[in-house]
Amino acid sequence: MGGLQKKKYESGSATNYVTRNKARKKLQLSLADFRRLCILKGIYPHEPKRKKKVNKGSTAPRTFYLVKDIRFLLHEPIVAKFREYKVFVRKLRKAYGKSEWGGVQRLRENKPVYKLDHIVKERYPTFIDALRDLDDALSMCFLFSTFARTGKCHVQTIQLCRRLSVEWMNYIVMSRSLRKVFLSIKGIYYQAEVLGQTVTWVVPYQFAHNHPTDVDYRVMATFTEFYTTLLGFVNFRLYQTLNLLYPPKVWYGALGLDACYKNNDETQTLHKDLLPSFQEDAEALVVREKEQKEQDSLKNLFEGLKFFLNREVPREPLAFLLRCFGAQVSWEKSLCIGSTYDVNDETITHQVVDRPNVDKKYINRYYIQPQWVFDCVNSRIRLPVEDYFPGVTLPPHLSPFVEHKEGDYVPPEKLRLMSLQRGERPGEDEDGGDDDGEEEEDDDDDMDDEEATDEKNLKLMEKQKSQGKALSVTVTPGKVKQENKMRLEQEEKAEEKRLAIMMMKKKEKYLYDKIVFGKKRKVREANKLAAKRKAHDDACKADKKKKKKKTTGRE
Amino acid sequence: MAAVAAKRIKRVAAGQHGFLSLNHTREQNSSRIGKRKRVNRNKKKNWNKYSDIQDIEDFLDDVRLQERATGGLLSEKPDDSLFFVDTGDQNKVAQEAPVTKRGKSSKPLRVDLILQHDSLVPSPKDILAHQQPNAKKLRRISQRVEKQVAKGLQLRSQKQLQRRKAGGATSSSEKSLPDDDPSRPFYDIWGQEEMLSGDAFYLEQTKKKPVKRPDRLNEKPSSLPAVEIIGPGGSYNPDFFDHQALLLEAHMVEEKKQKEELKLAQQLAVRKEDIATEETIFQEQVEGLVEEDDEEEDEPKGEEEPKGSAPAVGREKKTERQRKREKAQKEREKEKRTQRELVDQRQQLFQLRSIRADLKRREQRTRQKQAQYQAQKEAQKFCPQRLGKLKFQAPDLEVQLSDELSGSLRTLKPEGSILKDRFKSLQKRNIIEPRERAKFIRRNKVKYVEKRAFKAIT
Repeated sequence: MGGLQKKKYESGSATNYVTRNKARKKLQLSLADFRRLCILKGIYPHEPKRKKKVNKGSTAPRTFYLVKDIRFLLHEPIVAKFREYKVFVRKLRKAYGKSEWGGVQRLRENKPVYKLDHIVKERYPTFIDALRDLDDALSMCFLFSTFARTGKCHVQTIQLCRRLSVEWMNYIVMSRSLRKVFLSIKGIYYQAEVLGQTVTWVVPYQFAHNHPTDVDYRVMATFTEFYTTLLGFVNFRLYQTLNLLYPPKVWYGALGLDACYKNNDETQTLHKDLLPSFQEDAEALVVREKEQKEQDSLKNLFEGLKFFLNREVPREPLAFLLRCFGAQVSWEKSLCIGSTYDVNDETITHQVVDRPNVDKKYINRYYIQPQWVFDCVNSRIRLPVEDYFPGVTLPPHLSPFVEHKEGDYVPPEKLRLMSLQRGERPGEDEDGGDDDGEEEEDDDDDMDDEEATDEKNLKLMEKQKSQGKALSVTVTPGKVKQENKMRLEQEEKAEEKRLAIMMMKKKEKYLYDKIVFGKKRKVREANKLAAKRKAHDDACKADKKKKKKKTTGRE
Repeated sequence: MAAVAAKRIKRVAAGQHGFLSLNHTREQNSSRIGKRKRVNRNKKKNWNKYSDIQDIEDFLDDVRLQERATGGLLSEKPDDSLFFVDTGDQNKVAQEAPVTKRGKSSKPLRVDLILQHDSLVPSPKDILAHQQPNAKKLRRISQRVEKQVAKGLQLRSQKQLQRRKAGGATSSSEKSLPDDDPSRPFYDIWGQEEMLSGDAFYLEQTKKKPVKRPDRLNEKPSSLPAVEIIGPGGSYNPDFFDHQALLLEAHMVEEKKQKEELKLAQQLAVRKEDIATEETIFQEQVEGLVEEDDEEEDEPKGEEEPKGSAPAVGREKKTERQRKREKAQKEREKEKRTQRELVDQRQQLFQLRSIRADLKRREQRTRQKQAQYQAQKEAQKFCPQRLGKLKFQAPDLEVQLSDELSGSLRTLKPEGSILKDRFKSLQKRNIIEPRERAKFIRRNKVKYVEKRAFKAIT
């Protein structure tokens, strides 16, 4: 027929995507360089919705990039640097082969180098964008700083990562922004609040690792290259907000934070939350003030305490954590630089040990296991020290990242924690989901109990009357019944709820019943688990008693 | 070239009388004594190859050296300049000391005599000393300088000096610092405001401003959080039930794997009855070869069956009447249909309610489908996509069994590796595609050949 027919795969999604090899050829780069460029610029491959169309009829699995993305890559100036580097490598190889050592030196001195500053600025136009993406960067930097300096990846990268991670930890300590910490079998998870953004990162333990073989080190090195640049700029900006000099004169071997490096002589000002002030009503203001007070008390959790870390405890995480909350820390001089006082100092209030028994004990200090510090941070109060003495079975280390919903099983340790937290602040009302549920249940139970007693009394009175006895009822001056306002409010709310339930349509009522059934089932399961736990605890207690009896019996 | 020249020299030297070459001396001597290649030295081709001018070259070198160093050929110099007669008289030397007269030039110093340059090779001419400045040029230069100074511009020399003073060394140091240098400096990248203004296209084309990044690239490819925190059962000292929950999860994963293996095994399983035994093999081989009585009875039954089908009826042509009848029928049906449609249309007025209900139902269905599609799209954002040849392999759950749990931080043995975790997380969030290590495939077959030397031995 005519020539104006539309041909297949000439327009539409087939022309919006391009395969990886075609993109690479368009950019005239090798595969490794292409991958590096995509990682640095933040270009990701896409999976098209209609694979058959894009792949021109075949369903072979291929990597597709958007054509517009590749065209955008063509404007990138570091592509030229990659090509220069390729030429440099070729010349260097030739010089080596011809044994021209003068040429080798000259080439090495003029090695082509590229900078990633403009890419950072392009990908994160504002500072807050950079803060949002900081999780990945931090985790990668901390990870690389723990690598062994064998030369598999550049030693300079490892040193730079170490420097940046120490600077970041410094900032967190100065601004007291750490909120949660979790010790897991993988590593240590931290969460901090920086300028309104929540930042979470994971740090591996300092023990020796076997490096897995199926990880692509080149890719990770490229990511680290970009992330170190990003983290450096973020650190600079953060230090600026605190009016501190950057780069700080810190010893990168240790968290030697006692070094003085501020550029103005003011005493440490706690970093106030820079929340925007907008029109609020009184209630919200009160809530915010309460939050502020809580946060301030959190920041001074360990204020005034003096800690000493024994040799066997992990020094860096503990020092970081303790300093974040206002304590003074020290360790043995022979371990690392930066220790201020020795173990014989009389004013030490707590000593962190991890051995089952301690040789020499000073009277005026507490000996605790390291979990005490982490649990205190998570529960935001100073927990009683007795549970964490050396040799004592520790309570479980609960994750602060778990949100307990209504009716979920809450471990009794957590309940104790919450009661402790409440015990510390008697006059305030806690608004948590659990507590509402619990309180309602308590109310119902209370009311049931009262009704039961009333009924019993009435029955008794009726019996008496039927027996013809004179009821010992007299008229007495009335007592002013103090109406509990809270109680009244709650009753009103319950009434309203009941009315609403009555007025529901059949269908809606059916759904509502289902939901309530589900909730009740959860509660029942939680109760079951709690009962199990109680049984287990009782059994433990019985065992202990038996053992005690046995030992006493023997003696 | 150098190799050819070397060869030539070697050959020529070897051809010389009395010269012994190092290689194959004995062979050469035994085979070549008395046998010299007959070469025509008059041909142009052989001038370079077989003529030796080394002695002339030596002589000329010597002459040039004499001219350079001693100022002329030594053979042409007068005797006095080269030799002196040694009389051995010390008194005469004392008498010969001249009386120096003031005002008159004394004899030149001995040092000067020795150091004077007496080579026949003259020193090169200093061209710049001969150059006489063009008055016009000089005038113009001075006028230009005056104008520049009047305008307030700096002279080129002054500019260069200032640049040097400002620190020309920084440019080289900036160039030499690579990105991963541990002491690299940082600055406030977000603090500097944009100075450039003007047409965006012009600025982009002249590379004064970078090309704008498309907004699509600022979206994250996945809605998963960057750092996925392990559940409460992964704590180093977990609560009992949380730990059990984690173990249950790991158990489910293992169960699933086992189930799949079982399924595969079932599909590939062979029944015992299907396995070939000797009997069945024999039966197969003997199939159709043994004639029995039963077979003859079966045959006639088979023959009768195909007779049952009726023969095809021969068709006659349709008559005119038949055609007319068919046409009329068709038209009647058509009329009926149109009538029916008209009636239907009028009746639709009374079916409004049911039509509305129908429409409502349809709309609801489309809305439901749309919601489902949106939900699916959102869910897609949380899944790892298929970005290449390999599918995403979820990493193993990090679990420690109850007896591996250590109560204290000191005896804790970490599980899994953060490096692998980060790598897998990047793959999960569709940032990089899953790849495996490239295998080394030999294109050509390997052949083993013994060396000639060893062949002689073995």
